[in-house]
This record gives sequence, structure tokens and C-alpha cells, in this order.
Amino acid sequence: MWYKKHLLVYKRKAHGLKRRQLGGGRITNPNWLELFPDRIKSILLRLPRELLGKLEEVRIREGRPLEVNESGGHRFVTEEGQPTLDGDKAYRPSRDDSRRFLDLISNHSLYTLEEELRKGFITVPGGHRIGLAGRTVLSGGKVEHIRDISGFNIRIAREVRGAANAILPFLYDERERRMKHALILSPPQHGKTTLLRDLARQISSGGMEAPIAKPAGMKVGIIDERSEIAGSVHGVPSFDVGPRTDVMDACPKAEGMMMMIRSMSPDVLIVDEIGREEDAEAVTEALHAGISVIASAHGSAPEELQNRPAMKRLMDNRMFEVYVLLHRSRGKTAFRIMDRQMRLLQLQAKGEANHA
Amino acid sequence: MLKLFGAVLILLAGTLAGFHQAARFAARPKQIRELILAMQRLETEISYGFTPLPDAFRRLAGQLGEPLRSIFKSAANHMASGSGNTAQESIQRSLHDHWKRTAMKAPERDILHQLSFTLGTSDRQDQIKHIALAAQQLKHEEALARDEQAKYEKISRSLGLLVGALIVILIF
Repeated sequence: MWYKKHLLVYKRKAHGLKRRQLGGGRITNPNWLELFPDRIKSILLRLPRELLGKLEEVRIREGRPLEVNESGGHRFVTEEGQPTLDGDKAYRPSRDDSRRFLDLISNHSLYTLEEELRKGFITVPGGHRIGLAGRTVLSGGKVEHIRDISGFNIRIAREVRGAANAILPFLYDERERRMKHALILSPPQHGKTTLLRDLARQISSGGMEAPIAKPAGMKVGIIDERSEIAGSVHGVPSFDVGPRTDVMDACPKAEGMMMMIRSMSPDVLIVDEIGREEDAEAVTEALHAGISVIASAHGSAPEELQNRPAMKRLMDNRMFEVYVLLHRSRGKTAFRIMDRQMRLLQLQAKGEANHA
Repeated sequence: MLKLFGAVLILLAGTLAGFHQAARFAARPKQIRELILAMQRLETEISYGFTPLPDAFRRLAGQLGEPLRSIFKSAANHMASGSGNTAQESIQRSLHDHWKRTAMKAPERDILHQLSFTLGTSDRQDQIKHIALAAQQLKHEEALARDEQAKYEKISRSLGLLVGALIVILIF
């Protein structure tokens, strides 16, 4: 097909680009363009190649300008595929566009996505996540599902191999030959998930790329409530999460952690975005069972966690041995590492992580 | 001699046309019944199996006989082709391509056409309601088709022969 050729060109360019910027990072799933209906796809393909390779989000809002986002910069897109800041010149997706898009991303079967509609996002093959906005339907005071969906936020998942290189040495306990309990903190869009994914891959395959004493591969269990870390489709991960990794897909974190502990005997548990009471309980359970937990949470500083009761308890009990704080500005990710007493271990190292 | 041969040919053609027509009258309720069963199966696939539409259609196609099979099969293929067809377009195109081969008439087609607008675009309860509605309408059409069959099946058989005979008489 004609766009395959374009994709190849763009793939090559994207690879070259990323390699320079990230030193070893590699993007492996540029199939996200296939998600879009023809008209929007052709507009996006006309975007400057450099921009296309760096896109992180595409936003479709019915009747309002088409918007793309790369490394924090938002731009509208004209019908000719030119980025612009003028909303009046931008292409405005029609009702037909959004209907078509919804049909494509739901595999023509919206009814199979009831759980996803309740949560407000869909994960599609390739691990990309599409957030939805529209009118909600309530049942017993809770959101039952979303109808009249008119806003889409396509977050393009990037598999960046090597994203965890710089952080991994801080998480490995050489004396006891195990991973430390770690909590990764960052605001949304700063590369938590990408980091977790690469951590899973490297821990599971044995830390071949990290410049430390090569630890043996460990059994890794990923609880992937939002299908973001592994991007599983029909239970099989679309990303490389390592050879010794089990993924519990679309499973509530607390329950998933307990299930993994009981049945899959992991050495390391990886969970995304913990925060609720039962999550904290499950994390505690895992820590007592001698399983290392690497979790992430929203927040830019450990002090913020003090405001959330469940997290506060975890911190007060000094459950985590290492805190990793991610911060990204202008496409570069920096991180800080703190120990369990909140002492800074290392200042402002230039990281190599990238956005998920 | 030649005249006699021609007369026989005309009679034969008339009779065959009559039988063909009668067969269509007989096949229509049968096919509608099959379609209703297909709707019920689709309802099950959607409500209990959470089967995505292309897969559900493919399964239906596997269980159905011709000519309904090709309708569902080609709709499933259009949907899965990856060329950006919506479910609605796929179903409508498939109806357009394969409807002529069935013995069914416009009302049934309209029901499926109507259903194609909603299939796959809403939650389960809504889907089930729409499919049940379509099945209900099809049942109504089936009853009408049976009436027509009872009225016209035999008539059209004899009518074919008689029309043939009439033409022969007129020509001679």
C-alpha cells in the first residue's frame, strides 16, 4: 500500500533521530498511523517528517482544530498537513471523521469495550492509548459508559530500548543480588511508563545493557491495569518486556499483585500508577513476601505523596528503598534518586528516558 | 414440425419460469427464518461472547448456508480488510453485492440496511435491542412471506404453464 512506503521512510528517519538524541534508544512500533481514517491519515502523513517522527499525541476533537503535540509543544494542523498556531486555518475533523475513527479503533464493535468506556480510554494494538471524551451515561451515580464520543487523545506509545540504562544501577542491590523496592514519581507524560517497560525488559533479560555487574535475569510480573506497559493484545504483549516476564493484562492492580504473588512466583513486581488504599495494601503484602516491587505514581515530589493517605502510610513505613523522580523539559528527561529517608543520592543526572 | 417444436419450447419455458417463481416464493420464508436465527446467534455472540463484529460475522457465515453465507462473509472481509471501511459501509456494500442472489425482497433488505447503521456503534444493551427489533420485524415479514407462499406458490406454477399456452395460442 502506498503509505507503507512513507512509513518506512519515516521509520528510518525516526530511528536515526532518536539514536542521536537518546544514545541507544530505539522506537520499534511506528504502526500508529494505521489507526486513523484515510482523510486524517493523509493529513498526518503530509506533516514534516521530523515532526511526524517526534509526535507524542494527536488530538481529534469534533468540529475543532486537529492538534498534534511533540515534546510539550502543541500545534494545529492544516488540511495540507502544515503545522500552524492559527486555529482558524487548521483542519477541523467532521462528525464523519470521528465516527469513522471510533469505528476503526473499536474494531467495529464498541460493545466489546464496555470496561474501557467506563475507564475512558482504549488501548489498541501497538500499545497506543486513546483517551476518550464525550457525554457520560450514569448508573447508580457511577459512570456506566461514554456516549456521543467526540474527543480523542491518541497517545503514541514509544518503546525506547535503553530508557532505563541510567537508572538501573541505582535500583540493583549488588550485595543481596536483588532489585530494590522502588517508587518512580513523575507528572503525567514524563516517561514513567516507558521507563517501567524498559526496566521490565532489562531486569527480565538480565541487565545486558546496563553498565553494572551483570545480574542474572529475574522473573518479572507486570500488573498492567491499563494495558500500557506491555500493550497487550489478546493477552500477548506488543512490546518487548523481556523473556521472563508475565503480564497480567487489564487487571486491577491490587488483585493482580496478589494473584501474581500466589501463582506466578515473581522476583520483581512492576506496577503502574499506584495510589489507592488497596494498592498500598497489596504493595505491603508483596514487600513482606520478599518480592521486590517497582511501582510508579503521579506526582512531582515525594512531599506531594504525603497528601494521599495510602501513599503516606507506605512512605511512613519506609517501604520503598529508592525513589526516582522524573522530570522532563524540552524532550530531555532528567531524574533524581532519593533513598528511603528522602536523602538525595544523586543530583540531576541527565537521563535517557523518553515519553511513553 | 418446426412450429410444433417452437410451441413446445415456449410451453417449456413458461412452465420453467412458473416453477422458478414458485421456488422463490417457497425459498423466501425459509431464508427469512434463517436470517432470524442468524440474528439470534449474533445477539448471543454480542451479549455473552463479546465477540467483535468481524469475528461474529465470520462465525455466522460458517454456520449459515448459501446465499446468506456470502453476505456475512463478505461483510466480515470488508471490515477486516484494513482499508478503513466502517461496519456500516461494509454491511451495505455486502448487501449491495450479494442481495440479488437471495429470494428475499426489499422489506428484509431495508431491515438489514437499517440495522447496519447501529451495529457495532453502541453498548451491548442497545445492540441487543436493535438486533431484537430487527428479528421482530423479520418475523413479521416471514409471516407475510408465508401468506404469499400459500397464495401464490401453486398459482405461479400453473400460471407459468398457462401463460406459455396463451402465447402459443396467440402465435398460432
